[in-house]
Amino acid sequence: MADTVLSVADARLVLDGGAGPVEILRGITLNINRSESVGLVGPSGSGKSSLLMLMGGLERASDGRVTALGEDLGALSEDALARFRRGAMGIVFQSFHLVPTMTARENVALPLEIAGAPDAWERAGAELETVGLGHRAGHYPAEMSGGEQQRTALARALVTRPAILLADEPTGNLDQANGAAVMDLMFRLRTEYGTTLILVTHAPELAARCDRVVRIEDGRIAADEDRA
Amino acid sequence: MSLALRIALREMRAGLRGGLRGFRVFLLCLMLGVAAIAAVGLVREAIRQGLAEQGATLLGGDAQYGFTYRRATDAERGWIASHAARVSETITMRSMIGVGDAFTLTQIKAVDAAYPLNGRLVLDPPDAVLDEKKGVPGAFVDGVLADRLGLVPGARFTLGGKTFEMRARLLSEPDSTGRDTLFGPRTLVSLSALEGTPMLAPGSLFDSAYRVQLRPGDDLVTLKRQAAAQFHGTGMNWTDSRRPSPGTERFTDQLSAFLVLVGLAGLAVGGSGMSSATSAWISSKAETIATLRALGASAGLVRRVFAVQLGVLTVLGIALGLLLGAGLVMAAAPQIAGALPFPVAVGLSVRPLASAALFGALTVVLFTLWPLGRMTRIGAARLYRPGRAGGWPGWGAVVSSAVVLIVLAGAACAETGRTGLSLAVLGGVAAALVLLALMGRGIGALARRLRPLGRGRPVLHLALAALGGPGGEGRAVMISLGLGLTVLSSIGQIEAGLRSAIRNDLPAVAPAFFLIDILPDDRAALLDRLAALPGVTRTETAPMLRGVIDRINGRPAREVGGDHWVLRGDRGVTFAETPREKLTAGSWWPAGYDGPPQASFAAKEGAELGLKLGDRIGVNILGREIEATITSFRDVDFSTAGIGFVLTLDPAALAGAPHTEIATVYATPAAEAPVLRLIGHDFPNVTAIGVRGALERVGEALASVSKAVLLAASVTLAVGFVVLIGAAAGGEGARAREAAVLRSLGATRATVLASFALRAALAGAVAGIVAVAGGVLAGWAVMDRVMNLPYSIAWGPAFAIVVAGVGAVVLAQIAFALRPLGLRPARVLREAE
Repeated sequence: MADTVLSVADARLVLDGGAGPVEILRGITLNINRSESVGLVGPSGSGKSSLLMLMGGLERASDGRVTALGEDLGALSEDALARFRRGAMGIVFQSFHLVPTMTARENVALPLEIAGAPDAWERAGAELETVGLGHRAGHYPAEMSGGEQQRTALARALVTRPAILLADEPTGNLDQANGAAVMDLMFRLRTEYGTTLILVTHAPELAARCDRVVRIEDGRIAADEDRA
Repeated sequence: MSLALRIALREMRAGLRGGLRGFRVFLLCLMLGVAAIAAVGLVREAIRQGLAEQGATLLGGDAQYGFTYRRATDAERGWIASHAARVSETITMRSMIGVGDAFTLTQIKAVDAAYPLNGRLVLDPPDAVLDEKKGVPGAFVDGVLADRLGLVPGARFTLGGKTFEMRARLLSEPDSTGRDTLFGPRTLVSLSALEGTPMLAPGSLFDSAYRVQLRPGDDLVTLKRQAAAQFHGTGMNWTDSRRPSPGTERFTDQLSAFLVLVGLAGLAVGGSGMSSATSAWISSKAETIATLRALGASAGLVRRVFAVQLGVLTVLGIALGLLLGAGLVMAAAPQIAGALPFPVAVGLSVRPLASAALFGALTVVLFTLWPLGRMTRIGAARLYRPGRAGGWPGWGAVVSSAVVLIVLAGAACAETGRTGLSLAVLGGVAAALVLLALMGRGIGALARRLRPLGRGRPVLHLALAALGGPGGEGRAVMISLGLGLTVLSSIGQIEAGLRSAIRNDLPAVAPAFFLIDILPDDRAALLDRLAALPGVTRTETAPMLRGVIDRINGRPAREVGGDHWVLRGDRGVTFAETPREKLTAGSWWPAGYDGPPQASFAAKEGAELGLKLGDRIGVNILGREIEATITSFRDVDFSTAGIGFVLTLDPAALAGAPHTEIATVYATPAAEAPVLRLIGHDFPNVTAIGVRGALERVGEALASVSKAVLLAASVTLAVGFVVLIGAAAGGEGARAREAAVLRSLGATRATVLASFALRAALAGAVAGIVAVAGGVLAGWAVMDRVMNLPYSIAWGPAFAIVVAGVGAVVLAQIAFALRPLGLRPARVLREAE
């Protein structure tokens, strides 16, 4: 278990819906090893994004245990979770979620600034160059294409060199060409930085690029296929 | 039913399920603005009606013939009596009431047996009379004055050296609007008791009035015309029950004009909120609009559909505003009626409510034309794309806005009756809105320039980005809060300036007392005795008569100079051998001059009246018309409260005219009581008016006026706060998303909250600073330019405004940031996907 960076043990998630409590996750157990790339697949509403959020500490399990890098996420306060994420995790969302009032470079520098890195500005510039957006550093999100925004979001997620990269349908809002470019970049950098990647996707070709594919159906793991 | 109406009703039915959520700010702004204007209008209407209905009672008769400084001659009395059913004579003057060693100023009203012709005196005890008892005449003394002097019915006191006996406490006079006793409470005596005393000697300062009741069949218009012909050139002032108290009416109109304009400023602030709410609503309806357009609806139809919905909301907002305004006035009716010195019936009337509704409707139209214009210019394809509709609204909207603005300005001028003031205030509001919008952009530009400072400081970086980035938050804060704070700041600076002028600046150079009714024979003795009192540093005297400036170059003065204060009523006139002040033009008459009358006029007032050297000025003194040629202008500084006359004549021009002297006594506060005792005991016909007390009473009057103005201004601020809250509430979703993203990036809640608070504090501080700048500008303009008083910035109110601005914005932001911060990031982000 020395290589396990993320462990989910019998995790359940119940959310309040309009018509009463809704059981989203029904006892998920999953261990993910360092540098592994894992694709979470399954139909819409199956609970894969919720599972990703549990792993990122952005959602709390109603029951069960989620451990990341040896930290029991359920035992941490909201602020402690935020501090934990600083160096440990990068997250990429389907809708990018860039801060609209900040330029590309400022967005990328933000997690480093929050973490107190003195060279945030320089590192952000370098990271943007890495994702091929050095020329867009001074542009606001609204001035960039979807693909450019997602590459900025990827730079922001990786600039702290996190041990774990969580990506929630990162190509869901992109056309095929842009989606493929972003994924190429993501897998290349993951390999380069040795990052553990957990990816939620609907696209079979993306899942096929992962070391392991976990299929979620109705809040449970329906299949766990090791492809490495 | 038209197609537009049908679609609009369907849309509204669907919208109502949301409980008018998006329109709370729209409705609140409209409601508060309309309520403020309606409330002011209703109170003003009540006062106007009170003055009109109580006209004859307040005046003391159907009409009044007034004389300054003299009583009517027998012939004049005969004419008045022959044109009236009943006549009552009253004389009013200032005098000193003395009990033992205590002397204080009082306003004497001496009345004949016919008084009062209308209404009745309220006395305690009620059946008291003024008749002489054991050779001592009776008097009714104002309750507060009696208490201050320890007088009770049966007690004796002196008036101008003559002994009187208090018979009753005077609780109310039917013929008083409260303005006539500003400089001393009332003592009512019998006219016969004053006859033969020095108080009515030639040259004494008193006013006589002959109130009449009309004979059956007579009318005021005819009688006024006959009286004008009969009394031409005698200095008679005519007043009648149609306008019993022009001064009160003018004061009420001025104050309510100002309050209406402050209310309009509130509506303007609200207008910005209504405009934002309308834009946000139209954005949220983009899909509906696009669908309608795709189905072939014309731009006009879409515009009508939305205009109908806005119209219904406007009617609702106005109705709520009228209800609130009327409700508040009705609830406070007893307090309002109690605060006024004459009876008023506070009630509902159509005109003020209609004007408030009109102002509300015009404001809505003005502030929603642009969003509606933008909506109809955008094609269906564009509307399907996300983002807010923005850009050029089209010439139609621009021209319509200009027309509505002109109508609004015209309505404001008509409502207030003061074109210059209305246009100045509306222009000021428009300029302030433009300036604030520019400052909002300025904050954005400054924040962008300062961004490098934020590097490595995430809280500051986020705040500067929020203010300087696209859709910067500064603009909304500046518009919503800036104008309200500017109005409040202006009032604060002006009020502080006036208070400072009254309390600090004037007394430093002002005399302690004005002495009036000094008989020329007593002058030398009085000056000697005053000079012997320790603490009396200086005494100045001047002869004084009172006269009405009625002609300029042979034409009626009012035709030439309009409503200038110098021409309003009678003025003090003096004569002198040598000039008291520095001449600014012309030359003084030579010593012993005995030619045609010459005059020296105050330079500033002369310039305002358009007078120049060689002009002829006609003045009626004691019924005698004197026409003098202006041979010099003088620099008269009225702000020192010293002796200053607008008009000085050469001594020969007034030779033989009975007159008294006035004096100013400069003394230390410790010397004031000895001065009063000296005057009271040894110069009983002289009246001493304490400047300190007078200034205090002016201060009290000012305080009640400023209270009313502050109340109206607080409506503007409240509307601004509603707009601010609306903007903060509207941004709650964006803040929730931002907080969730920042937390996903590792920011703690404290960091996120600090960032929200810092950006709010920065925007609030700039709004506060702009408001202070606006207030200082207004304070300087009013104090220095209008009132010729020294102005210095009142730092206390200025600092309070900045703190209030910062506090308001920070509170609003934090209030709407707490909920997003309490949410799990995953849930917020899931909703945003």
